[in-house]
Amino acid sequence: MKTKINSLVSLNVNPCKMCMPMGASTAFYGISKCMTILHGSQGCATYIRRHMATHYNEPVDIASSSLTEQGTVYGGEKNLKIGLTNLISLYNPEVIGIMTTCLAETIGEDISGIIERFREENPQYKDITLIPVASPGYGGTQYEGYMAALNAIVGKLDMNTEKNDKVNVVLPPHSPADIRFIKSAFVQFGIDAIFLTDISSNLDGGYDPNYSRLPRGGTAIGDIRKMAGAKLTIEITDDTTTQSPAKTLFGKYGVPYRQILSPMGLKATDAFYRLLSEVSGVTIPEGLMEERGRYLDGMIDSHKYNSAGRAVIFGEPEFVISAVRVCSENGIMPVVVATGSVFPSLKDYVGQAVEDLGVRYFVDGYAIMDDADFKEIEEAAARYGANLMIGNSDGRRIEVNLKIPLVRRAFPIHDRVGGQRLRMLGYEGTQTFLDEITNALLKVTETTFREEIYDEYYKGSGIDKNKKMVEDKYISDDMVKKTMEHPCYNCAGHKYARIHLPVAPSCNVQCNYCVRKFDCPNESRPGVTSSILTPEEALERYKTVKAKLPNLTVVGIAGPGDSLAENYPQVKRTIELIREYDRDVTFCLSTNGLMLPFYANELADLGVTHITVTMSAVDPKISGKIYKYVSYMGGIYEGDAAGAIMISNQMSGLRMLLAAGVICKVNIVTLKGINEHHIPEVVQTCKDMGVYITNIMQMVPVKGSAFENLPMVSNLEIGKLRTECGTIMKQMLHCRQCRADAIGTLDNDISVDLAGFAPEEKGNKDKGKKHMLFAVASKSGINVDLHFGHARELYIYEYTDGDVRFLEKRDVEKYCSGNAYCSEQDDKIAKMLNALSDCNGVIAMRIGESPKHKLEDKGIFSWSTFDKIENAIMNAAKQV
Amino acid sequence: MAELQRKNVLGEREKSILTKQAGVCSGTGMKCDTDSVSGSVSQRACVYCGARVVLNPITDAYHIIHGPIGCSSYTWDIRGSLTSGEDIYRNSFCTDLRETDVIFGGALKLESAIEELMSKNHPKLIFVYSTCIVGVIGDDVDAICRHMSEKYSIPMVPVKSPGFSGNKSTGYRMACDAIMQVISPYKTDKRTGGINILGDYNLAGEMWIIKNYLAKIGIPVVASFTGDASYDEMIKAPSASLNVVQCAGSSTYLANRMEEEFGIPYIKVSFFGIEDTASSLLRIAEALGNEEAREKGIRFCDKETGKIQDFLNMYRSNLEGKKAAIYVGGGFKAISLIRQFAFLGMKTVVVGTQTGKKDDYEIIESLVDEDTIILDDANPAELEAFMKEKEADILVGGVKERPLAYKLGIAFCDHNHERKHALAGFEGVINFTREINESMNSPVWSYIKECGL
Repeated sequence: MKTKINSLVSLNVNPCKMCMPMGASTAFYGISKCMTILHGSQGCATYIRRHMATHYNEPVDIASSSLTEQGTVYGGEKNLKIGLTNLISLYNPEVIGIMTTCLAETIGEDISGIIERFREENPQYKDITLIPVASPGYGGTQYEGYMAALNAIVGKLDMNTEKNDKVNVVLPPHSPADIRFIKSAFVQFGIDAIFLTDISSNLDGGYDPNYSRLPRGGTAIGDIRKMAGAKLTIEITDDTTTQSPAKTLFGKYGVPYRQILSPMGLKATDAFYRLLSEVSGVTIPEGLMEERGRYLDGMIDSHKYNSAGRAVIFGEPEFVISAVRVCSENGIMPVVVATGSVFPSLKDYVGQAVEDLGVRYFVDGYAIMDDADFKEIEEAAARYGANLMIGNSDGRRIEVNLKIPLVRRAFPIHDRVGGQRLRMLGYEGTQTFLDEITNALLKVTETTFREEIYDEYYKGSGIDKNKKMVEDKYISDDMVKKTMEHPCYNCAGHKYARIHLPVAPSCNVQCNYCVRKFDCPNESRPGVTSSILTPEEALERYKTVKAKLPNLTVVGIAGPGDSLAENYPQVKRTIELIREYDRDVTFCLSTNGLMLPFYANELADLGVTHITVTMSAVDPKISGKIYKYVSYMGGIYEGDAAGAIMISNQMSGLRMLLAAGVICKVNIVTLKGINEHHIPEVVQTCKDMGVYITNIMQMVPVKGSAFENLPMVSNLEIGKLRTECGTIMKQMLHCRQCRADAIGTLDNDISVDLAGFAPEEKGNKDKGKKHMLFAVASKSGINVDLHFGHARELYIYEYTDGDVRFLEKRDVEKYCSGNAYCSEQDDKIAKMLNALSDCNGVIAMRIGESPKHKLEDKGIFSWSTFDKIENAIMNAAKQV
Repeated sequence: MAELQRKNVLGEREKSILTKQAGVCSGTGMKCDTDSVSGSVSQRACVYCGARVVLNPITDAYHIIHGPIGCSSYTWDIRGSLTSGEDIYRNSFCTDLRETDVIFGGALKLESAIEELMSKNHPKLIFVYSTCIVGVIGDDVDAICRHMSEKYSIPMVPVKSPGFSGNKSTGYRMACDAIMQVISPYKTDKRTGGINILGDYNLAGEMWIIKNYLAKIGIPVVASFTGDASYDEMIKAPSASLNVVQCAGSSTYLANRMEEEFGIPYIKVSFFGIEDTASSLLRIAEALGNEEAREKGIRFCDKETGKIQDFLNMYRSNLEGKKAAIYVGGGFKAISLIRQFAFLGMKTVVVGTQTGKKDDYEIIESLVDEDTIILDDANPAELEAFMKEKEADILVGGVKERPLAYKLGIAFCDHNHERKHALAGFEGVINFTREINESMNSPVWSYIKECGL
């Protein structure tokens, strides 16, 4: 039922990226006592807060200048200045990051100018550092926003150029837990470092009885100023193409720099520690060598499991590059490497590693893409047989659709807790990450290998002892559910009830074993019913029965003639009526198949999901013996001609139904001496076409039919035939050969019990009872919660001896159309009085003295209360 | 209080905060329904957000965001509206405007996007949302939609939702206008005797719960707006005999337009809490003049109410006397929560909304006890200060408020669009009560009172 969405070239379908202000906000969270304000409309700040709050599980406060229409047209300077003042007053920050949005950039706001003027006008705020960042949402993704903010911080701040012995460390947006790891590594080597920026505590704070709304962790602004005098900058980055704060510091202040990969995976972590050792002059401690040894051991332990991995790695370039590194070191083949950013050099970063691994494992199908959306990623994942995904929680839909596990890393993670604590860095962090990947693969293997191997080598093979029923495949979950709940398609469906609606009396074929007879409630066979219903009556019967049998899941139309003969319009109408009333119902229909090619597609469109075709032969000669005559397209056919028409229409109709996704059952009536040896061939034909189940039935001899003297096939013989055919395909073993108006479960036809059921008799309700009308002023429609004078409409209730019921709503305005009584100087009260002339009382939350008196003059009482409407009326009625 | 206010409340915000005083009615003194104060860290979103909230649950519509990627990314499949049919609405389509588009205009991009979508898929209905920058660069989205709609003979409806063009309520109205544009051509005088349900978004299956109740008492539902809605169902809406409005804030405007233009009367209902649920069901039957349904409704509600009495009595013993803080989107929800807490023996000590109106606040004032703080468009600083001052035991609110409550050592109940369990109907009463108890009486809170190691 669900539409498959294809990827589109000119439309992004499910974004694999966010926008610049998100990244910029994150960067500022790493500065101590810093707040941020977004210059734009209110929504940007709110959405970013919502995303950060669920990922980090921390309160995230980001102000907005809340630009309105006026600000957009005449400039938002005033909004931004007020916003800054208010933000300072509420949070008392030392630093404020001022970020632009799409809107501010598009209307061309001069942020530097506004800041300058704000400073002049507010000398009292001279100690507060204001840092503007251009971060239009259309300018890049959150990673670019993050880097833009870092660059703005070191580029625009008044720096302290006095030389010091510190080392600057430029950090990518790793998780707070990983940032803590990096910090501790610098401590371990005794390096006095300044981190740009340190989100480790502000976005992963502890519980503190004295909550501070101003984030107090992070790097102090004074330290950041000292970066200009540092002896070295270490920039941790996997992506050397995006703007680099290290280069900015070098360019402006001559601070030398080293760029180094994020310490993720063995070699990058080795390089990281070697650099720390080199910079500090401290030899690498023994403990670290042990850690490394354990990680290497872990890599070996899980290498064979990992080699089965075919990974999709997606997200921001920085994350993707480092995750590819971990995977390729461990023999996990990245088959889809994708970023939502515009980043054409992604291939340069990861291409070689992916290709090398592909050569080892003989995998040559993979994709490396930038500017990708999730729809493209999903298609590539399916194409290259991915069995694992690594990235943020936005991949969860692919996880569900393609049933491949998602190892959650990076930002954002909305559907699990602890996004802020996820580790990837260092030997131990990589080990944690790797274990999660390996275990995701193992979980799939461990829970599926028994069944998979059984299916592959045993099930249905020559040695299969259990080979009986052939299971169905390729049926959607919804259809499987409907089929499981359908009593005629599944034994387990026994507890579900069906109703057969006799709306189609006429038939176009005369079978030799059938006499269609009405008014014979004691017979229980197809073709028998007590009465014929119109579509409207059928709907009524359905409603009545549904009320009595909540387990009613199936509506069937089984004649009593043929559903697709002359009465087809009634059949169609019946289906439409019931579908309108109850959209969950499963429709099934049975037919001899003669007219099926004409209506097959329409039936599928009507939502008939299950169709039974009675086709007892696939050989025209045999088929011809079953029918006395066939009435088709104005002609009457007998013998072989009849058989040929029947078979050709039955088969082409079935094919159309199957193509439309309808579940088909074929009923085969066993006719001794006519088709009993031919039945396996019929079943085989059904199987080849894709029919869901066949039902081999006994013929029930009927007096007056051509076959009344044909001997019945014994139960034993039917049993044998079913067992034999069960090796070909699924067989229905529980058919009860229902009446055309059967109701209930297969085992309990209650149609006779329900015959003549009529809606319950209504009592005579007007036996001399006193009743009153109340007018209620209500806004919510639930409570008396409106001033009488404010009411534009009144709810009118009828009270009859303790019984309160809603009568109607009256629009007060409507009561003054051209009436002289409602002249201009006359007021709303007059209209009200007009609207209430037949009421005994008025109930409102409040009512003025003047209207109160005017109502009293008309003999209408009034009450002021706040209560549930019903209660208020009961109380008022008592007092009358 | 004065000291508290000076530190935590901006001057411009003072009039939006009220302390309930005994025997005094502040009348209409509350300042609300205005633009957010710049820099106050409002919890509100924008016009686009409001429009997307209302329209997004339409399951077989293609929702195209004409704008930069953020607007699409931040609203992609974040809400818990469920579907029984198509799930096209769970995708986010975006023209992903870039710098050059902002300079040269995005109209061509939108046109080619629609052309491609039409050639590769078979949409029945498309909504095109205009975002902030589209409002500024002036792409004629109306004309494109009109032109494409004629070319392909399907409704393509522009939704005017630049974020700056008002507040969330403006967005609700824009969405309602878009719905009217879809259904107006199907105006009819025929009445089916069924109802439309307005303002329920099938969060955690709430629309299904309500529809099941109605089915049990024999009231057919023609169309739902917009929880689990589909195009084919929506266009039948003009033949309904009655509209029932669940979320008044977002959908009263739609009900009014349908009343004026199609002649369908409406009533407001609420399915939050036992009393509201029961009286709403009966009210619907009464408004339809369906005596049989009313009788069935009485029996049904008696039975359901009876079933949960023991449950409620058991839980009440755990909850009585506790103090609740409420910060939700609309006034109606706040009012129904105050009453639900009172029903459980709890007291509301702080209550606020993002988009409440003057009369909502008047009702709130009349419902709460003395000294309760009432806030409009509150910010985290105020929520923090007042929850601490009033020693709230639990906060009911949205996703952004949750971490704040936790940091303050306060329990939390998720009453937002992302929740995974129903809060409507009799089932909802059970879920709500359980959630309140489970969060408030969790053992974790006992440890925060112990000091240190």
